[in-house]
Amino acid sequence: MPQPFAIYSSPDITKKEFTVDVNNAKYHTTNGKTTGPSTYVLNAGQVDIDKPSDPKIDATTQQPTQLSQLRMSLTGLQDDINEFLTERMEIAKNKKLKTQDVKEEKRLQEEINELLDGGDDDDEEEDIAAAK
Amino acid sequence: MVNLNTIEPRNGRNYYIALGLEGSANKLGVGVIKHTRLPNTASGDNSHNCQVEILSNIRDTYVTPPGEGFLPRDTARHHRNWVVRIIKQALEKAKINDPTADIDVICFTRGPGMGAPLHSVAIAARTCSLMWEVPLVGVNHCVGHIEMGREITKAENHVVLYVSGGNTQVIAYSENRYRIFGETLDVAIGNCSDRFARTLKIPNAPSPGYNIEQLAKNCQHKESLIELPYTVKGMDLSMSGILAHIDSLAKDLFKGNKKNKILFDKETGEQKVTIEDLCHSLQENLFAMLVEITERAMAHVNASQVLIVGGVGSNTRLQEMMGQMCKDRADGRVHATDERFCIDNGVMIAQAGLLQYRMGDYVKDLSDTVVTQKFRTDEVYVSWRE
Repeated sequence: MPQPFAIYSSPDITKKEFTVDVNNAKYHTTNGKTTGPSTYVLNAGQVDIDKPSDPKIDATTQQPTQLSQLRMSLTGLQDDINEFLTERMEIAKNKKLKTQDVKEEKRLQEEINELLDGGDDDDEEEDIAAAK
Repeated sequence: MVNLNTIEPRNGRNYYIALGLEGSANKLGVGVIKHTRLPNTASGDNSHNCQVEILSNIRDTYVTPPGEGFLPRDTARHHRNWVVRIIKQALEKAKINDPTADIDVICFTRGPGMGAPLHSVAIAARTCSLMWEVPLVGVNHCVGHIEMGREITKAENHVVLYVSGGNTQVIAYSENRYRIFGETLDVAIGNCSDRFARTLKIPNAPSPGYNIEQLAKNCQHKESLIELPYTVKGMDLSMSGILAHIDSLAKDLFKGNKKNKILFDKETGEQKVTIEDLCHSLQENLFAMLVEITERAMAHVNASQVLIVGGVGSNTRLQEMMGQMCKDRADGRVHATDERFCIDNGVMIAQAGLLQYRMGDYVKDLSDTVVTQKFRTDEVYVSWRE
């Protein structure tokens, strides 16, 4: 059976491929690392009764059925994708925070300078003009 | 004239079979229904009289610990992990062995609701549709409730009161639309009671609203109500302020804040009010507001009956209060259904979806199956009514 795979692309990444490594245990379970209940509900005392069903074992071959194999491979792939996307989100968030901090500082400094210059009155005039 | 028989049932049968999938909030519902192709549905206004046969109606609810609501991500996970098992159960119960040959249409909730859970169920619906080569119909959740209520109760000339955890609307039909006469301006009535249940830390099973109702029933001082804000605004109502008010009362009660004169006696410091009293007063106050706007809507459209749909509609006290109001109006009547059809379920989605399908309105392109969190009741063109 051919293995499933996933390709991610965006303007800054031309191609990122996710493939199944048959020797890795994470592609042989239906319980993913990132697809469980959120930590918040577990901390609130949630008992997880909504787990995915276990893989179905074929009675004659004693191996997981084809569909169960696929489910397990996809669980592993989903974990890989989730981790990759979370990482990207974190990077993007840090960048945004940094630029926001710089902007905020600049804005505060400008405001202080304006007040020191007695620029407060000018603003009011501008406001009135804008309202008109 | 409405002809509900234009589309031929599959495989030369004389009946239609629809599979309905619902998952807009914390309930995952799968239902299978059957409509026989009757001569009376070829003309006239008979969409509420299709003689529906319910072949299966399976529901699984995502329940959170006391004091917690349901989060979109975890609710979606519940739906994703259960949907295949529940569909299998529903098909087995309905004795559908070959879905490709036996099912005419798959109906799913397109909105309104929580994005992530809606999305999970829509994916299941698309998969089944492609796998079995069965057409799809995206259904408005609110219209699902209304059509199920109409079919079960056979109500005519009515105003619809739609009350649930996510919606509070007074609706009347006019010229192919279910028009909203009044609605909540902030939180829904079910949300108000669910959130109060969280403050009280009472169990969320079977549902927080049901547990509030039971507490209210046990109230020992039904003759004296605790004063709460009464916020009817024209045809609309607002409930967030009432919730904040009663929440603060409950918190004072738990803390034993003797300074609160509503809860504790000024001189002796003795507790005057119980949790049951709070639940009773909250229900009476909220339901009185609903009765007021519903009555006004009835006067507007000259209707004599009320059809109550939605999860809160299974509250017997609300049914009783609405019944009293209707009795006072000439020949008035209340129509309500029990929890099987009131609380979110797959059958109602199948019912509304099958009516839509029988009018020839089904998904032609999968891009039309994208779910939407905002989907107002009056956006739907009701082609199956005169």
